[in-house]
Amino acid sequence: MGPLEGLAYGFTIAITPTNLLACFVGVVVGTIVGVLPGIGPVGAMALLLPSTFALDPATALIMLAGIYYGAMYGGSTTSILVNVPGEAGSVVTLLDGYQMTRKGRAGAALAVAAVGSFVAGTVGVVGIMFAASWLADVAVRFGPPEYFAITLGGILLLSRLSSASLTHAFVLVAVGLAVGTIGMDPVSALRRFTYGSVSLSQGVELVPVIMGLYGVAEVLVLAEEGAVRAQIASVRLRELFPTREEWRRSAAPIARGSVVGFLTGLIPGPAAVLSTFISYALEKRVSKTPEKFGTGMIEGVAGPESANNGATAGAMVPLLSLGIPFSPATAILLGALVIHGLQPGPLMISQRPEIFWGFVASMYIGNFLLLILNLPLVGLFVSVLRLPQHVLATLVLLLCLVGAYSLSNSFLDLWILVVFGVFGYALRKLRVDPSPLVVALVLGPMMEKTLRQSLFLTRGSVIELVSRPLTAVILILSLAALVGPPLVRLLRRRGDPAEAPAA
Amino acid sequence: MLAERVLALATLLGGALFLIQARALPFGSAERPGAGFFPVLIAVFACVVGLVATARAFVLAPRAAGARTDPPLAPEQRTRVIVAIVLLVIFCALLPWAGYPIAACAFVTLLLRRLGGSWRGAVVAGVLSAAVSHYLFAVLLDVPLPRGPW
Repeated sequence: MGPLEGLAYGFTIAITPTNLLACFVGVVVGTIVGVLPGIGPVGAMALLLPSTFALDPATALIMLAGIYYGAMYGGSTTSILVNVPGEAGSVVTLLDGYQMTRKGRAGAALAVAAVGSFVAGTVGVVGIMFAASWLADVAVRFGPPEYFAITLGGILLLSRLSSASLTHAFVLVAVGLAVGTIGMDPVSALRRFTYGSVSLSQGVELVPVIMGLYGVAEVLVLAEEGAVRAQIASVRLRELFPTREEWRRSAAPIARGSVVGFLTGLIPGPAAVLSTFISYALEKRVSKTPEKFGTGMIEGVAGPESANNGATAGAMVPLLSLGIPFSPATAILLGALVIHGLQPGPLMISQRPEIFWGFVASMYIGNFLLLILNLPLVGLFVSVLRLPQHVLATLVLLLCLVGAYSLSNSFLDLWILVVFGVFGYALRKLRVDPSPLVVALVLGPMMEKTLRQSLFLTRGSVIELVSRPLTAVILILSLAALVGPPLVRLLRRRGDPAEAPAA
Repeated sequence: MLAERVLALATLLGGALFLIQARALPFGSAERPGAGFFPVLIAVFACVVGLVATARAFVLAPRAAGARTDPPLAPEQRTRVIVAIVLLVIFCALLPWAGYPIAACAFVTLLLRRLGGSWRGAVVAGVLSAAVSHYLFAVLLDVPLPRGPW
């Protein structure tokens, strides 16, 4: 099935009433969690995962993905109107977005952000159609050594990109990998680190870990402030039309942001956040007036807001074509598919086309829904910010607790939620991004299985394992990304004595 | 900086403990790795990372290591967070024998009250949220939530 034929087939799946409703619910919930500061898309996806158990796998995927990209739309609203990022992918938007609000151009900023998100989301879906199909065709030929190299390379790259300190990232990788070994050994079925607990022999569930690290930890930060209400600037509908000059200035940043975002999404790491910083830096560099950035330049809103939506689409490519998630959000999507008995990977596109193409088509519909929902209903979405923070924090905590329990009706999951919630809060205070832990926890079992299979195939020869052409390329590129930047910094310092630190 | 040191030492200690536990599992050989092969690799990795983190936190760059942490919390903020964590723990301990409706109602009421709500508002919110979430999960989604002694 070619991409266009597949897309046409996907639309017949996506426009069924159930899937349309799932898409609508997903994007509305996504917009709301995007608007609310502190509650991110990953926590919300983990929270709603149990409610998708009764749904079809395609419907569950459509709803959860809707939350993910819907949050990117909603996040910009809070950044622009309240000067607080609704979610991490909208941090950069507030630099110029809020300045535009102060100048009375909030409506224009919101409209450009929504249109930019729509364009980037649509461009990203086109990218998924072609890139995922192509990558899946290539990946059919991959064996255990290639998969081992991809998982190892993904973790190394993520560690480099996700945190300022590589040491912190590696600590989290070690914790994630170690937690991933708890339970039944995938090869010999021997119980490891279960200490007699039957619940632990099934391994540590991913969802309570994510709910704890992202949901509970975020709520504990909200709880610090107690009863607080946000101050919100009001926007009238007639103010939502950018001028012709504003449209003209936004067009190129939207196009650049879409491409930058999609490409960043393909790389392991916090793609949505990273893409906004890259896009902002790019817009500043190509601008004739870079000194005006931060004073309300519409390019500083259009580029990053397009980039974060492009990145959410790009992040789907490795998940759908290789079955490998490189971010916590796509790890939840993988979890949702696995719970429904599906294993994403190169064969999923040909064996379960209704899942892949239905999902791709739903993203077109979801982006369109978001555009028509976000502009006229911006006032309604912003009104959720009037809910006092302490009420919101309490209710979200209760939902986390009951959601974690309902995954497998296990009290152990509740304790895992609380332990990782407190750990996640401590990480937040240290300003350490928890995503390496989540990705290592997801990829760890796959990494172990493929490593053991590879060693068996190569009769224990590590040299043979790493010298297969593709394995070698992936590992060399990952190592270069890991040690390259500090090496370049060191060489520059040596070359330029003025930069060397004083003894 | 204290947090950095604690994190570094915890990683080192955790890695060492994990190594001891992992070595008790069958290691196998390079051609046929056993159940303990991968855990031992992880444990060695954790010990190396722990050593580097400890060196950074205590010797190489103690100032830089603590430079990026959040400013300390005010006493009132710290109390709110501690109360929230304690209530989470109490909820988990209470749920199996008191049942979901009572545990949820008590959790919401006490937390809301502590975070700044009035007693009356907190009790109403506690009862309502316990009832609505019970209906949503136990009735609509068919989750067998613990009912308690009745």
